[in-house]
Amino acid sequence: MKISVEEIGSVTVLRFEGNLDTNTAPEAQERFDGLIGGGVKKILVDFKALDYISSAGLRVLLATAKRLGTEGGSLRICQLNDTVREVFEISGFSTIFSVFESESEALDGF
Amino acid sequence: MIRLGSVSISHALSVNEARDKVRQVVEALTGDSITATRLATATSQVCRSLQRETGEPMVSLDLWQDGGTSRLGLTFEALDPVPGADLLAGFFDAIEVPPRSDGRHRLLAVKDLRIPAVPAAAEVARLQAILQRKGVDELMEELQVKNRELQESFENLKRTTSAKERMESELNIGRDIQMSMLPLVFPAFPHRHEFSVFAALHPAREVGGDFYDFFLIDEDRFCFCVGDVSGKGVPAALFMAVTKTLIKSRASNDYSPASIMTHVNDEVGRHNESCMFVTIFLGILDVTTGQLAYTNAGHNPPYLKRKDGTLVRLDKRHGPVIGAMEGMVYQEDRISLSPRDMLLVYTDGVTEAMDPSQALYEEEQLVKLYGAREYASAEDVVSVTVDDVWRFQAEAVQADDVTVLAVEYFGVPEGVERSVLELRITNQLNEIARVNDSFNGFAKEHGLLDDLRRPMNLVFDELLNNVISYAYEDDEEHAIEILVELSSDRLAVTVTDDGIPFNPFQGGPPDTSLSIEERQIGGLGIHLVQNVMDEFNYNRRTDKNVVILAKHLKTPVSEDE
Repeated sequence: MKISVEEIGSVTVLRFEGNLDTNTAPEAQERFDGLIGGGVKKILVDFKALDYISSAGLRVLLATAKRLGTEGGSLRICQLNDTVREVFEISGFSTIFSVFESESEALDGF
Repeated sequence: MIRLGSVSISHALSVNEARDKVRQVVEALTGDSITATRLATATSQVCRSLQRETGEPMVSLDLWQDGGTSRLGLTFEALDPVPGADLLAGFFDAIEVPPRSDGRHRLLAVKDLRIPAVPAAAEVARLQAILQRKGVDELMEELQVKNRELQESFENLKRTTSAKERMESELNIGRDIQMSMLPLVFPAFPHRHEFSVFAALHPAREVGGDFYDFFLIDEDRFCFCVGDVSGKGVPAALFMAVTKTLIKSRASNDYSPASIMTHVNDEVGRHNESCMFVTIFLGILDVTTGQLAYTNAGHNPPYLKRKDGTLVRLDKRHGPVIGAMEGMVYQEDRISLSPRDMLLVYTDGVTEAMDPSQALYEEEQLVKLYGAREYASAEDVVSVTVDDVWRFQAEAVQADDVTVLAVEYFGVPEGVERSVLELRITNQLNEIARVNDSFNGFAKEHGLLDDLRRPMNLVFDELLNNVISYAYEDDEEHAIEILVELSSDRLAVTVTDDGIPFNPFQGGPPDTSLSIEERQIGGLGIHLVQNVMDEFNYNRRTDKNVVILAKHLKTPVSEDE
């Protein structure tokens, strides 16, 4: 898994590449925690190049969203492939997260 | 309302029976294996708690029309209030507690089947037949009834006849029971081109308790066994009947010879006041791969005659005779059969046949006979063997039952292809990445699209994470085996671990409707697995957990149709 970070206005965009699963979840969690610890409030996760996500990855997203919520921030997610979208739907995550088709849509009004 | 039937829940085996029957009925009605498995799992959990209660707990299935749809009702009943309403509510559409009647409590779980009309009479009859199919419980009960009847006629006999005639009669009854249990129609599987089987059993006049059996467990697995019960007459014949029944019943959902034998030995040993025992060779042949798994419990070692004429003696013993001691754990071995290989199983009536000078036939002669020439078929080798024993015995009296069973393997006819990926990893989380890398290579090689490959990556991550994180109570290194099988219409994955007994599919689904603050993640991984796969099965086989998952590659039927 690779994560590249870019700041666009007040939003920190994290672009994921590879897998977000048992083995990569701890590293992803560290990156999120580091950003939130550094004062970041708005995070946009771009999954365009993500291959698949497992429940370990969902756990990271959930923990991050909860933590951002308590600090007055929020998390948005965009560009899910079909498999990731299916996992979001099965798990009910598509109803508790704000999911967008593209980065520009997600950034709009964030 | 149409009553489909009932299953009585009297002990642990009948819980499995109830689960299997509910699954089959729901799948037959809806064509939806996922829903069927879920309802069956929920049913078996309620049955498991009912099983401990007295007063003949049972579950009945009814079908009725309601407005534009059909509904299936499961009524659980027992002397005490039926537990599990909350659990059932997670799987069914409505739960009701009907008023008590006949002093019995009831709990009704209703599922909307989303099929427009109640099925036709023929279909209903088929469903009723599923529920009427006998469980091991009923079979055992029948045997006991038979036993009592025989006992009575035996008592009669004692009163009315001389000792010599009595003896004769008893031996005759025993032989009748023995012979009536054998499959005698050959060719036994005329439509199967992957293998053929032939067997002969010639009972001796006095001593003898041989038996053989064979059947297809499923499309791919052919189970066969040859046994020799100690003792003779009616008691030996009944012991044989019980053993044979237990083997067949256990093999229906257990594909491991070692596990079947371990289980049968426990059952037989528990009620074995007469201290009888039985030697058994049991094999399960995967007819698509030629893999033969086998367990030898104190039986004569069979021979494998390879196509090139080489004889292989399967001389490994995997445990003591069956019935001697409870609690033994049996082992098993595997050997790969190639097309035109022939397996020959026999009883000691062959090697211990005596000629008039009381010399024994011995294994050596058998080996010579098997090696001497090519055999045209399983039938050929069986009849040549029996003839040779008769030739040797000449005028002498047959001392023991003579049994020979041969299985010839032909392989899968051309045109049917199956690709296999086998992996073995240790219980380290970073091994999961290795599995997914290997699987992705396999997927690429066989042209699997991302829509199929990615969910499988998810499945491996969830399952293996579960096993590696929770299955082991020590810090030792453990092996986990992964088998991927791809055919034109099915992708199947088998994961085997030696961790603590754990069925990942027994918990209910998590509540996926909760808000972000309320969400707990436990159980979500398996929920994802169950949703992306079409089949999921768990078996405890001897000391291993075996999870089998499959995805159908033809366009699956949507759950909403």
